[in-house]
Amino acid sequence: MVPRRTRPIRVGTVVRHATLVLFMLVILVPLAWVLLLSIKSIPDAYRPGFWPENFDFSHYAYVVANIPTLARNMLNSVVVTTSTVVLTTMCAVLGGYALVHLPLKGRAVVLALLVASMFFPTRVTSLIAIFETQRALGLINTTMGLVLPYVTLNLALSVFIMRGIFEQISHELVDAARIDGAGAWRTLLMVLLPLTRNGIVVVIIVNFVSAWGEYLLGVTLTNDQEVRTLPVVLAGAFGGMGQWAWPRIAAVYVMAIAPGLAAFALTQRWYMRGLQEGALKY
Amino acid sequence: MASTTALDLRRGAAIGRAAVLARYATSWVFLIPTLVFFVGWQLYPIFRVLWMSFTDYHFLRNQPAQWVGFLNYANAFADPLVLTGLVRAATFTVLFLPGMIFVPMLLAILVDRVSHPTLATTYRLILLIPAVIPGPLIFVLWKWLYNFNIGPIDYLLAQIGLVTPQTAPQWLGDPNLVLAAIAMMEVWWGLGYHTMFYLAGLAAIPKELFEAARVDGANEWSLFLHVTLPRLRPILLVLVVLRFGTAMAVIDEYLILGGFNRALPTYTWTVYMWDEAFQIGDWFQGYAAAIGWIGAAAMLVVVGGLFWVFRSRD
Repeated sequence: MVPRRTRPIRVGTVVRHATLVLFMLVILVPLAWVLLLSIKSIPDAYRPGFWPENFDFSHYAYVVANIPTLARNMLNSVVVTTSTVVLTTMCAVLGGYALVHLPLKGRAVVLALLVASMFFPTRVTSLIAIFETQRALGLINTTMGLVLPYVTLNLALSVFIMRGIFEQISHELVDAARIDGAGAWRTLLMVLLPLTRNGIVVVIIVNFVSAWGEYLLGVTLTNDQEVRTLPVVLAGAFGGMGQWAWPRIAAVYVMAIAPGLAAFALTQRWYMRGLQEGALKY
Repeated sequence: MASTTALDLRRGAAIGRAAVLARYATSWVFLIPTLVFFVGWQLYPIFRVLWMSFTDYHFLRNQPAQWVGFLNYANAFADPLVLTGLVRAATFTVLFLPGMIFVPMLLAILVDRVSHPTLATTYRLILLIPAVIPGPLIFVLWKWLYNFNIGPIDYLLAQIGLVTPQTAPQWLGDPNLVLAAIAMMEVWWGLGYHTMFYLAGLAAIPKELFEAARVDGANEWSLFLHVTLPRLRPILLVLVVLRFGTAMAVIDEYLILGGFNRALPTYTWTVYMWDEAFQIGDWFQGYAAAIGWIGAAAMLVVVGGLFWVFRSRD
């Protein structure tokens, strides 16, 4: 529904929208290309050009049936990602709440440490010691073992997002709940949690994305294909041959990015609001 | 925040010292889960690696690690691959940062002026799509986009007549192109996310400022220079420092798109560290730890410098 224009469209407006549409195409075309590749017939996939002569929708069924570990890798990804998201969100909600609404000695130290960790390349440099710790715990080459280091991938950022969200809630509200006799836990669960929904959605999406696609720790801490997550297997596969023929590997790819896009599509309303409510202010 | 704390303290004084301590202890309970993970898998490992860097620890040898002082560091500074690796990482950073700063800024200013609500939301949603695809999957996609045989980029360039199939660039195989190709991919990936950062900053600028400046006869360019840019500076600083940190320490991209070819510029200090620690010979993790800390220290120096450059002069 376009509102009736009362003044003529200006040249500047046209140029602006043309530029924006160009950028939108730059973002969408690569994704459209891989989607199209996954439904091309095999001869068409090896021919240059975008639009195939023949479509072949059987690649999805083929990869599920013929790549032996695929279903397992998918399941690994789901289990590891869910565990990571639940743990990190819990940490971020509790931590963000304590940092804003609870009396705390040493608040500045905790904040300084978390900030420092975001500016320091800990992910790469600490890898050797994480490997050692995981080995000491007997978690090398296990799927569930990945959850422990995955929680820290975005832990500092998640705590900061929740801190920003909790700062939007007035202290009067918290004090009122206290005066009514609610303890620290009840105040959080009954009064504050419903108000932080949009922020929690942002935290969930951020952690979902990073855990779902994590590669470096996955490739370092696991060896066997059946233990690994889907992206690690996909990144290690050479496209072009046999069960990894181009349209087939593209089908695996679409299956790998679909959950993230679906989660985003379902929650985008709260996600956008969460971003506006202060998730980006830190 | 301060007033609540003061209130709590006054209330605490009435109840008694033990009660105050108990309340502080309760507060820390909420932080325990965060601290367990943070200390266990982020803080402790980084110092553990520091300790390792002073030993001759080889993972696949049975002898216990011996303290060797600064030997690993001395060897690393004499190792041409370490220096090359740092220069390569810095080259990538220089290629990547301008595109990452200015393209999203331009986009944000354009999107911010779209007044039609449905269109504005649509643009924002499309911009955020790459941000919900995990990095490593983006890299896999671009490995195919850059592919010499089936990649659509070379095909497109050939279609518009810039190259012939014979002269089409080998984006990931050509040492002169590979870092720029990866930088382009990074800009694409971060486009939406960084634009959202700027949009948050733009939303905080009072619109009256623009009106007032326009009345005073300011043109678009001076509006940008004197109204928009100064107010985006805090966001600019956060983005530059955060992304500088990630750009210098990039590794997944290089492992997925470049592999372990030492002649390629993708073999930076991070890949060298990984190679030494988990692949070459008997896994000389003491030496790898030293490489990791040299890279980290180099970054800290530059991040400190950036903070100094961007320090508030008001």
